[in-house]
Amino acid sequence: MLKIENLTARIGEGDEAKSIINGLTLEVPAGEVHAVMGPNGAGKSTLAYVLTGRDGYEVDGGSATLSGEDLLNMDPEERAAKGVFLSFQYPVEIPGVPVMTFVRAAMNAQRKARGEEEISAPDFIKKAREVGEKLKIDAEMLKRPVNVGFSGGEKKRLEIFQMMMLEPRFAILDETDSGLDIDALKTVSDGVNALRSPGRGMLVITHYQRLLDHIRPDKVHVFAKGRVVKSGGPELAEQLEREGYDGILGEPV
Amino acid sequence: MTIAELRTRFQDPTPAELQLIARYGELPEDGRRARAFDAFAQSGLPHRRLEQWKWSDFRQSIQSIEASSAQSGPRMAPPANAIVLRFDGRSWDVPDGLPDGFRVFEKDTAQALGNAEQLPMAALTASQTGQPKTCDILQIEVSSSQERPVFLDFAGAGREMAFARIAFVVRPGARVDVIEQHSGGAGLSAMLVEFGLQKGASASRTLLQSGGHQEATAITGLVSLDEDSEFQQTALAFGAKVARIETRVRYSGPNAAAFLNAAYLPADGKHVDFTSHVWHGAESCTTRQLTKGAVPDGGRGVFQGKFHVPRSVGQHTDADMQHQALLLENGAEVFAKPELEIYADDVECAHGNTSGQLDESALFYMRQRGIPVAEARAMLTEAFIAEALETAHPDVLQTLLDASRDFLRGSGE
Repeated sequence: MLKIENLTARIGEGDEAKSIINGLTLEVPAGEVHAVMGPNGAGKSTLAYVLTGRDGYEVDGGSATLSGEDLLNMDPEERAAKGVFLSFQYPVEIPGVPVMTFVRAAMNAQRKARGEEEISAPDFIKKAREVGEKLKIDAEMLKRPVNVGFSGGEKKRLEIFQMMMLEPRFAILDETDSGLDIDALKTVSDGVNALRSPGRGMLVITHYQRLLDHIRPDKVHVFAKGRVVKSGGPELAEQLEREGYDGILGEPV
Repeated sequence: MTIAELRTRFQDPTPAELQLIARYGELPEDGRRARAFDAFAQSGLPHRRLEQWKWSDFRQSIQSIEASSAQSGPRMAPPANAIVLRFDGRSWDVPDGLPDGFRVFEKDTAQALGNAEQLPMAALTASQTGQPKTCDILQIEVSSSQERPVFLDFAGAGREMAFARIAFVVRPGARVDVIEQHSGGAGLSAMLVEFGLQKGASASRTLLQSGGHQEATAITGLVSLDEDSEFQQTALAFGAKVARIETRVRYSGPNAAAFLNAAYLPADGKHVDFTSHVWHGAESCTTRQLTKGAVPDGGRGVFQGKFHVPRSVGQHTDADMQHQALLLENGAEVFAKPELEIYADDVECAHGNTSGQLDESALFYMRQRGIPVAEARAMLTEAFIAEALETAHPDVLQTLLDASRDFLRGSGE
């Protein structure tokens, strides 16, 4: 599924350039959920942006492929059509564009890029209603402009709504737990777990063990200074919670 | 007065000004006409050395006035129940069977214009209209609220020049909705639309302007608002070689309100100027103004807005002016001058003025969801412009939204 080999990436150009990812190697097989944990500045969100193709994030070396296809040479929208989805740490406001219009435009653009039929309006509305109910999102919210005036929790819920609507092959969840209260965390996690399937991979970026109590990862990777410094099973997250990053990494970071 | 004598009133008249002098000379002599023409002659066709016209130089843009070809650009269909008044570049066509409370007076002599010295293009219109056998001035008295919208269809019909005046007097408590289509078709057109709203009256004005690459057009709106009256204006302009849409609002009684919304979308080689002046000449009046523009390479937008709040009579004014422009490409030009001139001390007045590009983080967010970058740009820009058009008359709102969408997706020309 997702295969990252010896990836090096930086933010900015020239004198402003700052190397963030330093020889990262990571593989998430189809059907698995991997967690990425690490202190602030370790490069977690940068990895998410490099994989999704945000401007200003430059790859200097290495590769990232999804099912054998090189992601790094594609435009962001092509990556999305190939099934890469990012749940943003800070979802962006799109003034004047209602959620339903936006998600339908996204879904049909992806389908078009893949040579598939557009979804019909009744099918789309039906699906939106079903997913909305699962996530406890009311219909009114879906008529409002994307993320405009939404609370932090509503924004995160809307990210997962979009993920469940778009059904990506590979999902990256960047600190989806931040801004969620306990009940919302449960609702969102149930949504994510419902999407676990043999053909789909996920990368869950988080600071805290809390989310991983609900979304049980197959593997946990600890990030520091733009690399994976330790990998293990779910118990590694628990150890981190007890001992902190200093304890795991054996040195202050 | 002879043509030769008239020429001496102008400093170094251009061929276009000579044409205007000649046309004036053929019209019946009239004191009101002469005063208006004197006011026009003070500046001639407005040009960049006049502070109010520094970004919209009519004199430079039209050296000589030539007949224009057919109309171009988006058009609105009149709503099915509309009272349609057509101006064919020369004369108004007034239909039969007008509803109760809606009286139309055709004027065959020149009509006076106040403040003519400050409004050279309106002064030109006042001096070139009002003649026997040609109906180019209408006065409309609205004495009861009108269910049917009034649709004004201004067309130049391939002429050199087109001048028309229309004035609405809205009696106390009455309401009228006016939809205006200005679709060019004359080398030089100057239209003057007046609204006098009496106590508790209300009016809405929705305007769509488009004009050709060789045309100059000026549309002046003069609005006077008495106590408790309300005026709402929504305009979408695609411009012309040079196009100016100027609105002057004057409050003469307390607790009146005006809402002035506008959007400009000038293509390559087009120029749109939205200029407005609001005189808070009475206490406790409210003005809300939102102007938005999106400009591609080669297009030019101008926003000049002024709120004037006098010391004694302007107390408790509540006024807000916003102008936001998107420069879609390199080579786009936007000039803006928002002005608040406030002499009263107990008022709430605010203004904002921004120009820039689309939000990169919003574009990335949309692309990450699979929306191609061109589509994402169009969606963001459409939504941006649509906010200024929300107050358009509901029967033509969709047409305005479609026209801006077509423009932003590259099929507007």
